[in-house]
This record gives sequence, C-alpha cells and structure tokens, in this order.
Amino acid sequence: MLQVGLQHFLIVSSILFALGIYGIVTRKNAIMVLMGIELMLNSANINFVAFARYGNFGLHGQIYALFVIILAAAEAAIALAIVLNLYKTFAKINVDEVNNLKE
Amino acid sequence: MLTEFGKIFIFILVAILFVLIAFVMAKLVRPSRPTYEKSTIYECGEEPIGSPWVQFNIRFYVVALIFLIFDVEIVLLFPWALSYQDYGFYGFAVGIIFLVVLGIGMAYEWRKGDLEWARPKIQVPVLNNLIKRSEVKSES
Amino acid sequence: MDMTNLSELVGLLTPEISVSLFLVAIVIFDLIFNKDKKILPFIALAGVAVTLFFVVSQYGEIAEPIKSGMITVDKFGLYFKVLILISTVFVIFFTLSSDEIKASADRLGEYYTLMFGMMLGMFMLVTATDLILIYLSLELLSLSSYVLAGFTKLRSRSSEAALKYILYGAVSSGLMLFGISLIYGLTGSTNLYAINDYLLSSNGNVVILALASVMIFAGIGYKISAAPFHFWTPDVYEGAPITITAYLSVASKAAGFAMLVRILYIGYVSVSDATGHWTVIEAFDWQMLLIVISIFTMTLGNFTALWQDNLKRMLAYSSIAHAGYLLLGVLVLSNQGLIAVLIYFFFYMLMNLGAFYIVMLIANKTGSENINEYDGLGYTSPFLGVALTICLISLTGLPPTAGFIGKLYIFIALVDAKMIAVAVIALLNSVVSLYYYVRVLKHMFLTKATETTPVVKASSFEKIVLLALVIPILVFGVYFEPIINFAKNSLAGFGL
Repeated sequence: MLQVGLQHFLIVSSILFALGIYGIVTRKNAIMVLMGIELMLNSANINFVAFARYGNFGLHGQIYALFVIILAAAEAAIALAIVLNLYKTFAKINVDEVNNLKE
Repeated sequence: MLTEFGKIFIFILVAILFVLIAFVMAKLVRPSRPTYEKSTIYECGEEPIGSPWVQFNIRFYVVALIFLIFDVEIVLLFPWALSYQDYGFYGFAVGIIFLVVLGIGMAYEWRKGDLEWARPKIQVPVLNNLIKRSEVKSES
Repeated sequence: MDMTNLSELVGLLTPEISVSLFLVAIVIFDLIFNKDKKILPFIALAGVAVTLFFVVSQYGEIAEPIKSGMITVDKFGLYFKVLILISTVFVIFFTLSSDEIKASADRLGEYYTLMFGMMLGMFMLVTATDLILIYLSLELLSLSSYVLAGFTKLRSRSSEAALKYILYGAVSSGLMLFGISLIYGLTGSTNLYAINDYLLSSNGNVVILALASVMIFAGIGYKISAAPFHFWTPDVYEGAPITITAYLSVASKAAGFAMLVRILYIGYVSVSDATGHWTVIEAFDWQMLLIVISIFTMTLGNFTALWQDNLKRMLAYSSIAHAGYLLLGVLVLSNQGLIAVLIYFFFYMLMNLGAFYIVMLIANKTGSENINEYDGLGYTSPFLGVALTICLISLTGLPPTAGFIGKLYIFIALVDAKMIAVAVIALLNSVVSLYYYVRVLKHMFLTKATETTPVVKASSFEKIVLLALVIPILVFGVYFEPIINFAKNSLAGFGL
C-alpha cells in the first residue's frame, strides 16, 4: 500500500532540479535557459513546503515558498526585458551566438 | 483496497481510454474524402489570409510584464491579510507601506508612458505626381 | 512578537530605512520633476550622507552584537556599511563626469534608483543572519545590478553583458536556494545560530550537508567571483558602464565577503577560544575547500590577466585574483585573518576605484580601453599617468603604498596559522601580477607618444576626486594605524 510521504516530494523536486540543470546546460536559446532556472527555483519551493509539512517545522517553509515565487517572477521579468533589449540590438537570442565580448 | 493515489490512477486510466476509444472508433467508422476546402484552416468560413504563425506585437509583451509583476506581488498580501490583526497598528502600517510602494511603482510606469497603448502612426499616402488643374487647362 | 519588539527592530534598521526612504524620494522626484535631472545626484549624495550619519551613530552606540530575529547588528556589519557608503559616494562622483551615463541622461532617475536598490540589498546582506533573508537580499542586490549592467542601451556590449550576468547569476542563486532548502530540511531552521546549534549537537547526514553547503557556496562564489563561478566577471566588467563596473568590483564584492564570513563563522564553526582562533565543525571541512578555491582563483585570475589588451578586462581578472587573496584571510580561521580581510578591503576599495576612474576618464576621450591608447600617456597627461601608476603599484602590493600593508597583514595571518605553502603560492602570484600591471606602466612611460595618444585634461573637480583616492593610498602606506584600529575595533565581539 502506497503512502505518500516526504520521500515522494523529494524525488519530484530532485527530478525537477535535474531537469532544470539539464535545460540550462543543453539549451542555447536564452528563453529556454530561463525556463530551466524557473524549474530549479520551483524544485526548491517543493522542498521548502514538503519539509515544512512533514518535518513539523511550522509555517516558515511555506512563507519562504511565497517569497521565492515572487522573486522568481521579478527575476523572470527582468531577464525577459534584458532578452528583449538584446533582441533589439542583435536580432538573435541564442546564447552562443551573442559573443562579442572576447579577448 | 485502494489508496487515494490508486483512485486517481484509475481515473487517469479511464480518461485516457475514453479519448483513445473515441478516436479509434471515429477513425474506423467515418469515411475519409479530403478536399482542399476541407483541409484548410477554419476561420469562420472566411478564406484564411497568411500564416497563423505570426509574431505578436511587442506592446502586448510590455503590458504582460507589468501585469506579471503586480499580479505576483499580491501573493504577499494573503498571509498579511490573515494575520495583520494580531499585530495591531504596526501590522496594518506594514501592509499599507507595501501598498504605497506598489502604488508608486504603478505611478512611475504611468508617468513614463509604459501603460500607453501607442498606436502605430497611420501612413497617409502622399501623392507626388499629381497633374495640376492649371496645366490640364492650358493644354486644352 | 509585540509592539515594543517591533519598534526596537525599527531602531536597529535605521540605516536600511534611510536608504529605502531616499530610494522612494528619488523615484518621486523623478516623477514630478521629469525634466530636471541636475538635482538627482545631490539627492543621492544627501541620502548617502544621512545614512552615513545613522551608521556612524549606530557604530558608537553598539557594544555587543544585537541579535534580533533574522538580523544581527554588530560593528562587523557596520564596517562594511561604511565601506559601501564611501564607494557609493565615489561612484556618484564618477557618474557626474562619465560620458557613457551622460549619453542616456534621460534615464538618470532610474540609474540612481537602482543604485540605491543595490545599496539596500548590500546593507541587508551584511546584516542578515538568516539564510532566507540572505537569499532575498542577495537577489535584491543582483536584480538591481543586472539592469545597471545593461544601462547604456546604445552599446551592444552593454546588453550582452547584462544577459550573461543575469544567466550566470540566476543559475548560481538557484543553486544556492536549493542548497538552502536542503539545509532547512536537515536542520529545521534557516537561522544561522540555530543551524550551528544543530550541527554541533547531532551528526546529521554528512553527505547532504556537504552537498547543500557547496551549493550555497555557489551563490556566494558568484557574488565574490571566485574561481569556478567567475565566468561572468570579465564579460560583465568589460560590457557594463565603467561606473557600475567600479561599483560591482568594490561594493558588491564587499557585501559578498561579509555574507561569506557571516555564514561560515556563525554557521560552520564550533569553538572560538580567547586568542581568537576558530575551529571548523567536524561534519564539513570548508577550510580545505576554500584553500583549493582560493589558490585556483588567484592563479587563474593572475595568469589570464597577463594577455589582456583591454584595460577594463585586465582589471576584471585582477579583481578575480584579489578575491583569491581575500579568501586567504577568511580561511585562516583566526580573528587576525578576518582583521586582515577588513583592512585589505579598505585599501582595495581606494586603489580599485582610482584605477577604474582613470580608465574612465581616458575612455571618455578615446572611446576605448585598449592598452595601445595608453602609449606615451605619461607624457601627454602626466597627472593621470602618475595617479594610475600609484594605483597599479598599490594593486600589485609594493611597499610605499597601502596595497602593501593589506597584503602584509594577510601574509602575517597565513604564517601565524602555519600555512607556509599557501603563503608561498600567494607570494608567487603577486610576482606574476607585477608583470601585467607594469606592462601598463611600460606603455605609458617607455613608449613614445603616437598621434593617437589622447591629451586628457582633467577638470579641477575630477582632479579633486582623483586626489581624494590617490593621496590616501600613499598616506595609508606609511601611516596605517587608524585603519588597523578601526578594523580591530570592528571585529571586537564578533562571533557566536
């Protein structure tokens, strides 16, 4: 009989985290890299909420998750604005193509 | 004996099967006689113009960004709304300060013109090679 | 938490509140007087002055560290706040004579707002003793600096710098957050004191602890540009406006080091004896990790700087190398080492700001930072040439300058901790660094001036700002007692 416990949440969060890292490393499109970053942040969120629930640490973990959600949105907004700005100058958003700064 | 997740699993299974059976049955029963008219995209009976894969206007994007920020900031108000009464005037003041700062941000965007839905300038066609009335008259 | 507690907390946070109020004031002023950009720098300077007043008066009042919830107000943090404020003043002065910023003067309001945002982030960062508050203030600092790095929209390299900065920054702060969530699960708290109590009382899962700690270090290492996380540094330093580069290399790095010292010396130490020596917790030996990272950082920074032709890029690698030296002061596990870090940072601020200022003045004239533009500059513009010479000699760490005193204290701390091998490596690195600093001097004084060599006439305001940076470098090179006492005084009472 299956009881959903802390382990299952941790497995989900580590899968999300690994997917995020994979996306960051393999994707060249800046938007895709940003999506990977979002996955990483949300995996940490799952951890916070799951630990708070199953470790009986009080409500702190859930509040942290709220903070992280807001930060993630702010970060995404700024990142997208920067990507937009970059697109206006270079007309491309692939990370490896935008590479003028080299010695 | 099923766990809670077991029930959900059965539910998912039934949902998938339902769709699959419907599609397979339809495929077997229906006649297939495609014509050009039938396989084009349906746009309320009109003939489609251009590709559906167009880039959206950049102005949508700025408005979406602004919306995103303000939308998410509101999340912070939920825990505050549940507990500000426990902290008396300080608790209330904290929330008000937060809202005032948000309001200043909004005013900033307004003043800087990011909320304006700037319409593209309509290009009035300019006619250069008009034959003047006087010239026409003199010829005749 | 009752009312008295809250009002007490407000009293502890006066510097931060002052910064926030002036941030809002700048925004509102920019909204109402949209056309008048001349007054903005003065509001910013007034903000810095008022905040400095609060910081100094707090410094006088506080004897013991005051722990209150997520923050700890102590002299250690206030020392870093003073550093941040001084560098902010200089960066505002730099901005007044920067052509890059003048080109986008209509957005000057945003520039100062974001600068105050960075300052607020740094202030919270040096005060916070709770991992989640550390993360939040780190993000506040980073988000403001991402935008500032891409401030001059006109130049393509600026937006490229911003993109690289935000991608690397977001990844490493994401790693840090995941590490924090693991620590939270392991210890049940994000407060550094509580984490320390837990780590001392029970042996948790050592592997998870090490993994989480390394992840947290990724976030810090990115902020101080230590070796495996330094990739953004040269590109961002080159692409960002020079005023912001100077700010990033000094203030942002100072805040990063304060955060590092707080996390390690509160969370991850077990004993501090009366002589000011510390012991690492058994579960995670971060001293070894830092030794490796520090040696790697300074070697990489110094050797890569050797073949840089762009002066901004060279200074970026040099700042990576300096982060390596500063890490040495952190890892010796003694109060002496921490004092050395504080002293070094004060002198590093002066010389680095001076070097970037001169590079900016020359770039204003020529539009580039290439080393060939400096051919014979010592003869065409002797004032700038001599000032740059003093800054570079100080960055190398040669005797009559302040940089020497800073390095000396770090080496003394290393030798006292019996880490002779590490000290020798650091010394060899300094010798290597001599080469690329002197290379600039060679271009300035031993190469004949060509037709393209600019004649840079500094205005009297620029001369005064430059003298305010260069004269202390020389003075503190011989009369360094006050800074040493200041640093020692600031570290009194630091710790558990």
